[in-house]
Amino acid sequence: MINRRGALALALTATLALAACGGEAPEKGGGPVKITVWSWKPASDGLAAVAKDFERTHPGIKVDVQAVGNPAIWDKITIAMAAGGKGLADVLHIGVDYLPGYMDKFPGGLADLRKLGGDTYKDAFAKGLWPTVTGKDGGVYAMPWEVNPVGFFYRADLFEKAGIDPEKIRTWDDAIEAGKTLKEKTGAFLIGLNKPAAGGADMDFFQSLLQQQGAFYFNQQGEVTLSSPPAVQAMTLVKKMNDAGIVADTSGENTTKQLISGGKLAVLPWAAWAVSYIPEMRPEQKGLWRVMQPPATTAGGKRTAIVNSTHLSISGTSPHQSEAFKFVEYALTKPEVVTKAFKEGGVFPALTAAHSDPAFAAPQPYFGDQPALKTFVDALAEGADATYYSGDYARALKIASDAQTKVLLKGADPAAALTEAATLLSQQTNRRLAG
Amino acid sequence: MTLTLSRPRRMTVPRRSFVTKRNIPYLLVLPALLGFLVFKAYPILAAMYISLTTGAGGARSFVGLDNYVRLVNDPLFWTSLWNTGLILVVQVPIMLLFALLLALGLNSPLVRLRGLWRLGVFMPSLTGLVAYGVMFSVILRKDAGLLNWLLSLFGVDPIDWLGSPFWARIAIVIALTWHYTGYNAVIYLAGLQSIPKDLYEAAMVDGAGSVRRFWSITVPQLRPILLLTVVLSTIGTLQLFDEPFVLTGGGPDNSTLTISLYLYQNGFRYFDFGYAAAIAYALTLIVAGFGIAQMRMQKR
Repeated sequence: MINRRGALALALTATLALAACGGEAPEKGGGPVKITVWSWKPASDGLAAVAKDFERTHPGIKVDVQAVGNPAIWDKITIAMAAGGKGLADVLHIGVDYLPGYMDKFPGGLADLRKLGGDTYKDAFAKGLWPTVTGKDGGVYAMPWEVNPVGFFYRADLFEKAGIDPEKIRTWDDAIEAGKTLKEKTGAFLIGLNKPAAGGADMDFFQSLLQQQGAFYFNQQGEVTLSSPPAVQAMTLVKKMNDAGIVADTSGENTTKQLISGGKLAVLPWAAWAVSYIPEMRPEQKGLWRVMQPPATTAGGKRTAIVNSTHLSISGTSPHQSEAFKFVEYALTKPEVVTKAFKEGGVFPALTAAHSDPAFAAPQPYFGDQPALKTFVDALAEGADATYYSGDYARALKIASDAQTKVLLKGADPAAALTEAATLLSQQTNRRLAG
Repeated sequence: MTLTLSRPRRMTVPRRSFVTKRNIPYLLVLPALLGFLVFKAYPILAAMYISLTTGAGGARSFVGLDNYVRLVNDPLFWTSLWNTGLILVVQVPIMLLFALLLALGLNSPLVRLRGLWRLGVFMPSLTGLVAYGVMFSVILRKDAGLLNWLLSLFGVDPIDWLGSPFWARIAIVIALTWHYTGYNAVIYLAGLQSIPKDLYEAAMVDGAGSVRRFWSITVPQLRPILLLTVVLSTIGTLQLFDEPFVLTGGGPDNSTLTISLYLYQNGFRYFDFGYAAAIAYALTLIVAGFGIAQMRMQKR
């Protein structure tokens, strides 16, 4: 009983109670300025490595990189911001899915980087990112660090066994046909989805199908587009795959990993981070995996999409904003520094200039000597569309995920499920339904 | 000193003493009172105000009863209310019955190593949220889960405990029962031990069998304690949060979304503190309503 009541009491009072007791006094006087950075592993390792170099060239500034953990960092930032910035770090590593929430709900919580010179880097980053760090007021509230273009990682051996040429897969409809053959000849599923969304939403795949069409849950005006034709098209594809019996259910602890090690998943529609993650997870499958751009949702359609990105922001209440910006500028806008952080922390850089580093064209033995990272560099050069997460993304994600669960588990009609979801989303967020 | 004070009429206290006989009780309760005011009363009142506002951070604006109107029209709130009610109606009676049987067993003079059994029964109440969540996700796994393995011995097909809207609710009921049965059993055990032995002896002399003794002595004697556990369990279940939070996240398709979980999502996932506070007040009203109703029933 105590646990349950405790949880409620926490939910009821955390903002207020913590407002009263959090916070540290800002240090005064001489000595080096210390700036704190909140991030999570493994990205924080990359940042910590470049922080050491930064301290050497900037003797007056000490940088303390803390691996707060993801998702713990979001609650920590929320509570600190609700407390008016007390106890908040100076530099914050924020995902594109949370950034608009902080920008909308906590005005002044994040520093406008224009006054520190941030807008001079407008064109330095991959296309599609700058609009996501720009607020409604035109302010710049973060600098892009990591970008994750979507990929199509596939088991070359299984495709060969089934007699399928991956080069010929141009659309997701082609992929569905290939998936049926794969299932028949090798017993492997095309993809896996956490169908009941147990333990959290699994919407990256659905979202990437939307993003390939330049669409999302919201448009630039902040209207709800969850029932737009691209969304219905994406959900219809998901349903087609599920009905064809080529989507594995990955709910439950470690199910995905087990399916992969058993050779039961032929395709992982994962983003750039998987180039380092798959070899770490399954070293014994060396040489079996390849990567290409995902097929398009419609014939001749776009194959590129940025599924997510993460950024560095500066606290709006930090007393050391200019020092903090010096560090952010150092860590994110210099190709050699960004590349170092990438090597240490596996963060695929958003900085376009960094992509010409030979590391991004090098053949990778794990991927059968394919230059795996080049697929993603090429995708970014092609240019992806911006995704408008809005301040209500968390709510939209939940509602869209419920719609997907209805389609996958109860066989609901995609258009009907999405219309219901869009209506609910618009009602809960007071946003207009687009179109 | 004492002599002077015992004659109030002539109370000419020589020096102004801070501690007097009159104020000492207040001074003694002051630390607790201050703690209550700061950590309970202030947040409760502030939450009341927040429930009448919208926005976040410094940008709060007063909207009157808008959040409550929105609550009444919110299908997800009604879903969460329905789910919570369903779990309450199914789970509390099952758990309390189990707890009573366990307590009767533990109280039996035939049981050896009594301390060990009691510890075992109470242990689940002490299990931390995370350990508990991990353990149950292993037990409830669809393939290679302990529970499905046990069922397979009886020829039952594997059940998707956390992936099907129906079974997910059952899974929550199982987890809840596992977690809190021991807690209630211990309360019952204390109650059982306070029933005077002579009542049983007298009944036995009169020739009452064990079933008759249970219904005519044990149950009436335990009545206040039974009521206590019913009220506590009802309040606890209405505030149900841990189990759906660690096991299902409220899914699939909101079939295990409870009021507290919806409150948490609105406050800490969606930053919608005004709405979350309104949900909290709605929940408070419901809990208070149930509590008062149950107390009234006892008086009759």
